[in-house]
Amino acid sequence: MSGPMERGATPTDGRSPAASGRSAIVVEDLGIRYNLRLTRRTTLKNSLGGMVRGNQGPGHFWALRHLDFRVGHGEAVAVIGPNGAGKSTLLLTLAGILEPSEGTVDVDGRVSTLLTLGAGFEAELTGRDNIDLVAAFLGLDGKTTAELAPSIIEFADIGPFIDAPVKTYSLGMRARLGFSIATAVTPDILLLDEVLGTGDQEFRAKSQHRIRELIARAKAIVLVTHDLASVEEFCSRAILLERGTIVRDGDPAEVVALYQERTTQQKLLAERAARFDGGTAPTATA
Amino acid sequence: MRGPTDAAVAAPRTSPRRRSWRTLATRGIRDLVANPRLVRFLVGADLKRTHQDTIVGRVWWVLDPLLQLAVYFVLVGIIFQRDLPDFALFLFAAILPWKWFSTTINDATLSITGHESLIRQISFPKIILPAASTVAGLVSFGFGLVALALVYVFFLDRVTAWLLLIPVIAAVQFLFTLALAILFAAANAFYRDVQNILRHALRLWFYLSPALYALDQIGNATVRQVLALNPFAVLFDAYRRVIYGTTSPLGGPTAPDWAGLAILTAVSLVVLVIAVALFKRAEPSFAKIL
Repeated sequence: MSGPMERGATPTDGRSPAASGRSAIVVEDLGIRYNLRLTRRTTLKNSLGGMVRGNQGPGHFWALRHLDFRVGHGEAVAVIGPNGAGKSTLLLTLAGILEPSEGTVDVDGRVSTLLTLGAGFEAELTGRDNIDLVAAFLGLDGKTTAELAPSIIEFADIGPFIDAPVKTYSLGMRARLGFSIATAVTPDILLLDEVLGTGDQEFRAKSQHRIRELIARAKAIVLVTHDLASVEEFCSRAILLERGTIVRDGDPAEVVALYQERTTQQKLLAERAARFDGGTAPTATA
Repeated sequence: MRGPTDAAVAAPRTSPRRRSWRTLATRGIRDLVANPRLVRFLVGADLKRTHQDTIVGRVWWVLDPLLQLAVYFVLVGIIFQRDLPDFALFLFAAILPWKWFSTTINDATLSITGHESLIRQISFPKIILPAASTVAGLVSFGFGLVALALVYVFFLDRVTAWLLLIPVIAAVQFLFTLALAILFAAANAFYRDVQNILRHALRLWFYLSPALYALDQIGNATVRQVLALNPFAVLFDAYRRVIYGTTSPLGGPTAPDWAGLAILTAVSLVVLVIAVALFKRAEPSFAKIL
């Protein structure tokens, strides 16, 4: 995400290195397995058919396997890698949305993902009612929600629409309200899928400012991104993920360099293969 | 504050396969009772969604069961000429609880598949979704009781203190409905066939239950005894005894069959615990398969 992000702001300000005490995130031998027979919209016919045909083909695949890492308090870790490497799966697992098929994930503190923009909205309810609803989904109690509501409404800045049903909102308004709710609480551990901005130009600047605030205040950050510039800007460490396993874990500049080198290499290989096979060879996803 | 965060602090998340059925059931029941706020908001949303954008708005909550009664009254009372006295009340005592049950089961079955994006984005106890459908059904049953009060204007001689037992019978129905709602919600996440089969199964179930007729009108003793095993034979009989009265011999409102209700309560509780455990076992898969 290349936006109006100022360079030079060190997000690790005020956070001490990992060394002291408990880690914020401990991942041990993590594996996430997807069952290929029970995917989207299976019907009885498909799976009965599968049984009759004797279950040919692989029954499952590992999106992540044998992952071991720790994130200390004060660390900001970037996760990079090609599409399909398991980055998003990892984020969903840290957020508690997916459960490990193997190994353990131990997260110390309140987790927040900014995956939740507008998720859980009920179209018939007013913006105000939706704040209550989504806050309840996020696990906030009534008192906290009541305290946060005014600032959420102020930040979303959608005027009288806050008392109109969400179905009357424009996409931009939905995103504004969703973003305001998602970022209302300062999490201990912030999980980000791209340092994103939302809505129109003005709100985008405002939302990026809010994300920078959260990044500065969170005790630990895991950022999944394709924008290699933001890796070095925001993170003190980077993990390169490929096909569900960790290839390298270390200094951001070094890991980014390795990733770029591998990407170029794979591109070259793919191009060469394409020349020889007349374009039928599988291309690397990079 | 409840939540996945606290659970995560208490114990590292591991594979659900390593958990015992007992743990799963306990956790599921904790999920059910620990989130009253979420249930309340979901039920509120559900009530606002139905009959939104209609001219008479919330009046539909009372009007709807009355019209349903009118349809069955015309069909069974006039065309098939059932000659039971105060037949409208006889019908209503069964139509109201069935409306709750069928609406809830239909909504609950779609509750997991219908919240796909939410489930993939927020970690929350999914069992709340079918539970909210059940509570929303209970609330609409409450509106149905208002309609019942209106119908009673024509049958004032059948108003007795036995009516005060309706909440007790409704409590038994709630347990039974909740158990099935949870089961079907989870099953439909894996197999969308469930929602299609269920539409027809519910209709068949209704006709096999003594809603439009009384069990003792059935001549064949074996058939009668088999149909009496139906949970809704027990429930309809209980509602009908306190709201309408008995059919053979004809008589005014009286006590329900306590033994039948007690057995149904016990069965419902067992099925509920099994349903909750199965749901918790399936829950981690939802985000992967939806």
